[in-house]
Amino acid sequence: MLLQQFAFFGFAFLLIAAALMTIISRNPVRCALFLVLAFFSAAALWILLEAEFLGLILVLVYVGAVMTLFLFVIMTLNIDNAEKQYGFVHYLLPAVVSVLILLALLIYAVYPLSSTTGLLALPAQASNTQALGDILYTQYAYPFEITGVLLLVGIIATIALSFREKRLNKAIAPELQLKVKASDRLQIIKMPAEKKK
Amino acid sequence: MIPLNYYLILAATVFSLGLLGVMINRKNIIILLMCVELLLLAVNMNFIAFSHFFADLSGQVFVFFVLAVAAVEAAIGLAILIVLFRTRHSIQVDDLNRLKG
Amino acid sequence: MSHYQLINLALVLFPLVGALIAGLGGQRISNSLAHTVTILGVAISLILSLYFAYQLFFQHGGAYDGNLYLWDLTGKFRFNIGFLIDPLTVVMILIVTFISLIVHIYSVTYMAGDPGYKRFFSYMSAFTFAMLMLVSANNFLQLFFGWEAVGLVSYLLIGFWFKREAASVGSLKAFLVNRVGDFGFFLGIALLFNYFGSLDYYQVFHAAPALKSATISIFPHTSYSLIAVICFLLFIGAMGKSAQVPLHVWLPESMEGPTPISALIHAATMVTAGVYLVARLSPLYEYAPSVLNLILILGATTALFMGFVAIVQNDIKRIIAYSTLSQLGYMMVGLGASAYAAGIFHLVTHAFFKALLFLAAGSVILTMHHEQDIRKMGGLAKVMPMTYVCFLVGALALAALPPFSGFYSKDAIIDAVHASTLSAASYAYYCVLIGALVTAFYIFRAFFLVFHTQASMPIKHYQKTTWIVKLSLIILAIPSAIAGFLLAQRFLNVPGLLASSLSVLPNHKLMATEHFLSTATIFSGMGIVLAWFCYLQFPAIPAWTQKHFSWLYQVLVNKYGFDAFNQAVFANGGRRLAKLFFNVDAKLLDEKLIDGSGRRISWLSNVLRRLQSGYIYQYAFIMVLGIIIFLLAYTLRT
Repeated sequence: MLLQQFAFFGFAFLLIAAALMTIISRNPVRCALFLVLAFFSAAALWILLEAEFLGLILVLVYVGAVMTLFLFVIMTLNIDNAEKQYGFVHYLLPAVVSVLILLALLIYAVYPLSSTTGLLALPAQASNTQALGDILYTQYAYPFEITGVLLLVGIIATIALSFREKRLNKAIAPELQLKVKASDRLQIIKMPAEKKK
Repeated sequence: MIPLNYYLILAATVFSLGLLGVMINRKNIIILLMCVELLLLAVNMNFIAFSHFFADLSGQVFVFFVLAVAAVEAAIGLAILIVLFRTRHSIQVDDLNRLKG
Repeated sequence: MSHYQLINLALVLFPLVGALIAGLGGQRISNSLAHTVTILGVAISLILSLYFAYQLFFQHGGAYDGNLYLWDLTGKFRFNIGFLIDPLTVVMILIVTFISLIVHIYSVTYMAGDPGYKRFFSYMSAFTFAMLMLVSANNFLQLFFGWEAVGLVSYLLIGFWFKREAASVGSLKAFLVNRVGDFGFFLGIALLFNYFGSLDYYQVFHAAPALKSATISIFPHTSYSLIAVICFLLFIGAMGKSAQVPLHVWLPESMEGPTPISALIHAATMVTAGVYLVARLSPLYEYAPSVLNLILILGATTALFMGFVAIVQNDIKRIIAYSTLSQLGYMMVGLGASAYAAGIFHLVTHAFFKALLFLAAGSVILTMHHEQDIRKMGGLAKVMPMTYVCFLVGALALAALPPFSGFYSKDAIIDAVHASTLSAASYAYYCVLIGALVTAFYIFRAFFLVFHTQASMPIKHYQKTTWIVKLSLIILAIPSAIAGFLLAQRFLNVPGLLASSLSVLPNHKLMATEHFLSTATIFSGMGIVLAWFCYLQFPAIPAWTQKHFSWLYQVLVNKYGFDAFNQAVFANGGRRLAKLFFNVDAKLLDEKLIDGSGRRISWLSNVLRRLQSGYIYQYAFIMVLGIIIFLLAYTLRT
């Protein structure tokens, strides 16, 4: 009991701190790394909520793939991060105020909900993964397939967007070189000789 | 036991932080995309919490799909960013006002 | 149709035919053809009216009242075209055709050489047609048609020399003031039709005794006698046409037209249409004593005060114009005192001597090469003896000295007013009595200044008077001299010539016999002597009076401020009202509302344009704000 509470508050604090640092950091690499930390603590919280499969998937897919991608792009773009954030203070206040109001409203909305029911009623299989798999391939098979297509579309889109042709390469393809005959390059024409007068 | 509303408040907090990040970030689009990930994380937290407290697995299934879609979206977003960088040679949000009225 | 109808139709239409030929002939006909056709048309009308007079007065034929055809029939509106020939009509058509013929003949000389010669004759014949329609109508609609038509032709003729600004302004003024009168007239006709159900004279006059106590409530909680209201409204029309105060302002300006039409229209015929109207409607007016009082007051005021203004005029035509105003006042006074026959008799004699005076003035103007200022004339007695004699005859008739015609008619009126029992009668009596002195004074002032005094600016070569002019003057001078003597008994005795046309209630009957040396005659004699004194013997007196009573002189010269008042209130007020409406329309409606709404939308879209800045963070901010608003609404509702 106490362990659960300890774990929850610890990881919750970590999550919030990491998120805050993400938005405040100057260095984009640091932002990315703090986001990774946020994901890790979120995963821990999900495991606390007995959604073990998703917690692991969060780390594997999100941190492992998406954040790696982010870091790649940050490195590739080679951003000059020495620029100061000008105008930072000017727009800070209305933004913070509005977000605080929003937060207050949301908390006000959810505060009464304090049910502590709920042990997850596990089916006969004893693991979360198996339970998820059970319904994912039967009841939610259709959205599953569509998600696959979506991923395919994503791949195609990404390649279509960022693919660049090779440029200014003067090399000719080898197969074309092999197909050339002498008669394509040289032509002999008979003409009568010019008589000098 | 942790009551439900704790998780929900936590998720609301992360969501607001994500929004704040979107609003105050001027210099870097990548930061913007990362804040979008934060928003999605908060929402996922909500789903998992509800799924746990109502003993219904469909919340988790939903999170599954959200994760997949978020990954695709991040990838495409970064691809667009790369193309943008090639043409504008800058990733400052302040420079991206071509669509203004 | 019966032969009366045919003759009537011919009588009315021949001048119209003449007018059409002269007017529409244009270049195809010569000047002499134009004047021949019109003179012929009017002459035929004169002969036909003499025939009617013979039938009615000597053969003792009855009056004729018949409809020619049905003009309009819609629901309860039934309008006929028809004619009424009774003694009053015969008297009027005789006067109209006779004076019109004389003036036509005179105009051959007066308008010779004018580029609008044919147009002039066409208009004059058209006027004759309109006036004949007016006086021979047997229903109010036809009367109104004639009324409007004479107003129109008067406008056309006053502005005959339309290239002169004074002429076009004067013609417009005449028409507008006439219109004001016509407005009242039309309201009266509308009331008549509403309450009597018909516009025929016969039906209206026979229904009048039954409705004599009917009342009408115009404003809430008031009730007026119906017949009094109708008579008052119709009298407004008569005021406009016959130039009573305050609708008299157009007559002096109408002198901008050629002298022959001043003689025809503004002395003898059109301005007497109002007098004819009241006399014709005597069966109605007898039941409206309050309106009779009003007629007395207005007529007497006009008679006296316009006479005063005539004293200070220097244009010979203006003097005679104000004299016409004054004499019209006399006629109205006679009508107001229920002496309708006396009023009509004065109309007849006035037609003769006033036309004579105008034509004689025209002759003087021609001789002086179109000079009209009497201060520049003088000593013309030897230059134009025929005109001199005729003018003298006319002046004596106007001053009502016996045995000239004016004496009989004017004296009848004065006696009638003296014997009348209406409340305004004493005021009217003193006005007309003093007016007799004033009349004699101003006309003899003109006479002496034009013909007797030394020529202040003698001119070398006077235009000779043609035989046409002399003939016209003589033809008019004869009735001016003897018509009174011959016709007074016929008109004024009870029952007189017009008894079957007029109706007088028993308590109003009063016709005293005249005697030669009445108070009025003494006053007239005094006026002549005074004029002789001031202008021939001691010419310094008028100048002294003008210097020491200059305020009085200014009041008279400004015609008591009527023109100034009209200019300031109606003309300028109308302009200001128009400017106000223009401002409201152009500035307020066009600029602010119509253009303004377009501008507002542009302004709004300019403001809204700022919202789309292209920056993502701003869009996000707005989204957050939107979410907050939704959430607030949701939480506050529950």
